Amino acid sequence: MKVLCLGLNHETASVELREKLAIPSTKLGEEAQALVSKTKAPEGVVISTCNRTEFYLATSDTSSGRRSLEHYLLERFGLNLNEHYYQKDSREAAFHLCRVVSGLDSMVLGETEIFGQVKKGYAAALEAGVTGGVLNKLFQRAFSIGKKVRNSTGIQEGQTSVGSVAVDLAEKIFGQLKDCQVMVIGAGEMARTTAQSLLSRGAHSIFVTNRSFDKAQILAEEMNGVAVKFDAWEEALQKVDIVISSTGAPHAIIKPEHITKVRRKRRYRPLLMVDIAVPRDIESAVGNIDEVYLYDVDGLQELAADARQRRSEQIRKCEEIITSALDESNLIGV
Amino acid sequence: MIERWLLALATALAAIAAINAWRSLTSGQRSKATLPILAITCLLQLMTLGVRGEMVGACPLSEPGEILVYTAWSAVLCYLIVGPTYRVSLLGLFTAPLVVILQLLALIPGLMSLNPPRVETTTGWGESHAALSVLAFGALALSAVSGSMYLILDHMLKNKKFSSDLFKNLPSISLLIESIKRLSLVGVIVLTGGIIAGFLAPNFDLNKHIWIAGFVWLAYTVFILWSHLRGMPPYFLAWISVILFCLSFAAFGII
Repeated sequence: MKVLCLGLNHETASVELREKLAIPSTKLGEEAQALVSKTKAPEGVVISTCNRTEFYLATSDTSSGRRSLEHYLLERFGLNLNEHYYQKDSREAAFHLCRVVSGLDSMVLGETEIFGQVKKGYAAALEAGVTGGVLNKLFQRAFSIGKKVRNSTGIQEGQTSVGSVAVDLAEKIFGQLKDCQVMVIGAGEMARTTAQSLLSRGAHSIFVTNRSFDKAQILAEEMNGVAVKFDAWEEALQKVDIVISSTGAPHAIIKPEHITKVRRKRRYRPLLMVDIAVPRDIESAVGNIDEVYLYDVDGLQELAADARQRRSEQIRKCEEIITSALDESNLIGV
Repeated sequence: MIERWLLALATALAAIAAINAWRSLTSGQRSKATLPILAITCLLQLMTLGVRGEMVGACPLSEPGEILVYTAWSAVLCYLIVGPTYRVSLLGLFTAPLVVILQLLALIPGLMSLNPPRVETTTGWGESHAALSVLAFGALALSAVSGSMYLILDHMLKNKKFSSDLFKNLPSISLLIESIKRLSLVGVIVLTGGIIAGFLAPNFDLNKHIWIAGFVWLAYTVFILWSHLRGMPPYFLAWISVILFCLSFAAFGII
């Protein structure tokens, strides 16, 4: 008996294709039953999330199992998926399942939701009575390996993009962002994505200012914010907690005196300033003011690069754990 | 003698709490044990103070060792109230070593006599004055601990030192500022009660002790009013909370 896996994910198929193969969690048991009866395999499990759909079979002959699985998919979904799916068997399939459960194959590396989603798919197949000695042992082992990987590595730690690093810093300074107001100076793409990251984590209002007021209005509208005339940004500074600046100005536009002027009116509340413009918009001396935390694009990129470096080390560590755990497991069909 | 054993046990537990909090910090996992260990520490401290109270026949605040134990108990009590409520669990990591230091000092021979003389006369106001004043120091100690945590986090944020476990586990800057303000306020309110009780005590006289308590109260009151009414850069707020606590504690120590 061998394990066979066939699936597609966010790396191999577009969202349009993935949504055609998406199976509601309430139907996973039925789908596993249908899979087993159509492919004549003794055991089967179906996993479906927004980023992947995968079919696991335990079959005595991998090549005929593969053919019948492909045929089943063509018949069931009316799609020829040759270019978009990946096939793995035996040890490779087991390794892949462990990577999936550990979040190593996810769009957001190390995310934990996938663990529950795979568990749900397996539980549905188990309840439908279409799992046996091979897949039961494989999935149960994968869950324990997944737990070990998460508990003994820092796979979820650190942010790898400038926007998410800024959000992490904001949370370290303000805690929850629901009471935070954000001001975006300039309407550049990076400022937009950073501001959107902050809004997605709860920041509640946004002010946008730009030399071209029209552009400020467009961006403000897009983010449900308020456009502020460029000559009035200093006033808005009193209200905000986070400033993201990315103008194309050839010289610094925010100087220490701008902040000093509003410190008392702001009642010395902490102020996070993210300068993603080159040349920089904010004079570095602004960072010397007690309650101001100033970061420029180099600093943020350095942090993101550090996190990426740490993550690639962690991935290697995770895969080592999976390999040695599988070596010790003596699973059937792997 | 039993109270010294109880105190030694409480000190050992506080040390275990500190080590446990540090270990969970470095392993990157949340510690669930610090709070219950410090809760047992608090109980043992209370038993120590209870035995001392029985021995002297009054609130056990007549010797330096007793005052140190009482302050340590008050700090743990405040941590047990504030820590879980404001989710500043890491406060335990900083509180536990402070408790260990205070109690080790109290265990130094001579600071807490084996056969303390019984207090001849006690009055309710006098006892309340002593108890509330020292209780206030627990809250003020914890405010200073929050101030130290703020200064560490501020340094890390300003110097872009983000990779340590300590950085990851410290609460946010805003939460620490809030803790400093609230704990100082609680401390001053309790201290006010203590001073009023002192004035109402029948044997009240304007001695050195009352003058220092008055200065401490005044300094903290000005600090709190200033920070609430006019605002204060958080860096100063944190430093003042630490310096005021150290100075006032040292002043009482000298007495």
